[in-house]
Amino acid sequence: MRFLRQRGRVLSSVVRPFVWLVFAGTGFAAVFAGAAQLDYRRYMAPGLLGMVVMFGAFLASLSTVTDREAGVLRMLLAAPIHRRTIAVGKALAATLLGTVQALAVALILLPAVQLWPTPAGALLAVGAIVLTSFAIGALGLMLAAIMRSIENFAGVMNFVVFPMLFLSGALYPVRHLHRALQALAFLNPLAYGVDLLKHALLAGWAAAGYGGEISVKLDLVALVAFAIVGLAAAAPLLAREGGITRVAFREERR
Amino acid sequence: MTGGAVAIEAHGLGKDFGSIRALDSLDLEVGEAEFFGFLGPNGAGKTTTVHLLATLLRPSRGIASVCGHDVARESLAVRRSIGLVFQETTLDRDLSVEENLRFAAQLWDLPGRMARPRIEQLLQQFGLLDRRRSPVRTLSSGMRRALDIARGILHQPRLLFLDEPTAGLDPRARRSLWEFIQGLRASSGVTLFLTTHYVEEAEPCDRVALLDRGRLAALGTPEALKRAAGVGSLEEVFLTSTAHPLDEASPASPAQPGG
Repeated sequence: MRFLRQRGRVLSSVVRPFVWLVFAGTGFAAVFAGAAQLDYRRYMAPGLLGMVVMFGAFLASLSTVTDREAGVLRMLLAAPIHRRTIAVGKALAATLLGTVQALAVALILLPAVQLWPTPAGALLAVGAIVLTSFAIGALGLMLAAIMRSIENFAGVMNFVVFPMLFLSGALYPVRHLHRALQALAFLNPLAYGVDLLKHALLAGWAAAGYGGEISVKLDLVALVAFAIVGLAAAAPLLAREGGITRVAFREERR
Repeated sequence: MTGGAVAIEAHGLGKDFGSIRALDSLDLEVGEAEFFGFLGPNGAGKTTTVHLLATLLRPSRGIASVCGHDVARESLAVRRSIGLVFQETTLDRDLSVEENLRFAAQLWDLPGRMARPRIEQLLQQFGLLDRRRSPVRTLSSGMRRALDIARGILHQPRLLFLDEPTAGLDPRARRSLWEFIQGLRASSGVTLFLTTHYVEEAEPCDRVALLDRGRLAALGTPEALKRAAGVGSLEEVFLTSTAHPLDEASPASPAQPGG
């Protein structure tokens, strides 16, 4: 029960600054709506939603290391709650943020590219968004626990976020990638999320090779695995004093 | 519940950060309701000690128990019994004053019917009633510190850690803080563990410990320490017991974390 309350508070403090991201996301969608052939735009819809999830959930987790969040983090660390509770709570907050933003964008994007999923497809899409948000949120948290300061943020963006985007099948099917890069794509949680979204939204085009490329089951298993790994790593890392505690309690920077 | 008359007990407590020995081997005992002062130059290991006792860091060596609970094995129970007031705020900047206290009440598992009146009482006591809905980031640093303290004592802990509580406060805020601390001592049997740079703040303490380069340099009542050093103030005890000036980092380990 506690982590629901706690995530609610973590959330309300994070939602406000991130609301603008929703607007940015829908703006993004509008831009793409005019860019290319209808078919390609449709193809990109799952990828775009994946990107919104990525930015939403990942940034939500990474924001844990910012100064603005440091105060809350200190309160959480001082409270009589387990570190793992903090980890789960923050992952859930990231999930909620990623999901809300992706759904908001979807409501505008899908009609814009005339992509109407079946009820089953819609359900799968929502599930995919939630699960991917959670997995990416958990991984983001793991990264935040390792990162010592926000100065590494640019490095993270370059070496983690952009590769994940380009190797996710969001812009083009993964099989078009060089074999070595394909192998990397298998390690990319976003790829599984986007694939699930393709299953959900592009089912009608599967025959033309635009649908999901891996089985739904594999996608689900992979995402759950990523989430577990992320959480399992984040909790002890949060407890590890070399990481979060020192970032949060910056005693050496007087 | 063992606690007895001892609020803090440490034996051979030590902490290393990589190759840096922030705290060597500390033996300490603080009795319940005692007002204990912890002094030392920058980098001496004061903050490290407080973090160790508050279960925010794991000891590299030794054992310690706070309010009857071992810091390594019963860290949750320790955090439940203590209050922490640090220099860095432990508040959510975007939430309001009242929301922060309610959040803290939930985190510390205070039932609603206890929390609500307690929050009202604290808001009044700290003069925050008219700012209760203001976001914390709009508060002055003195009010934030006041809110931090309110949050720290919300759950009525038996032991309160105050890590440089007057740092960064103007003289008036500092005076209010001291009046509050004296009031707290008078009205409740709370144990107070104070670390401070301002040596004169430790004069009213029951006992004082002086930490220097990770080791205990002196321990005793302010009177006893002054007599032993043959000086008239704790500041002079500080200066004569620690081999180097107050604000110079120890030459032996220039990059020492903690304070």
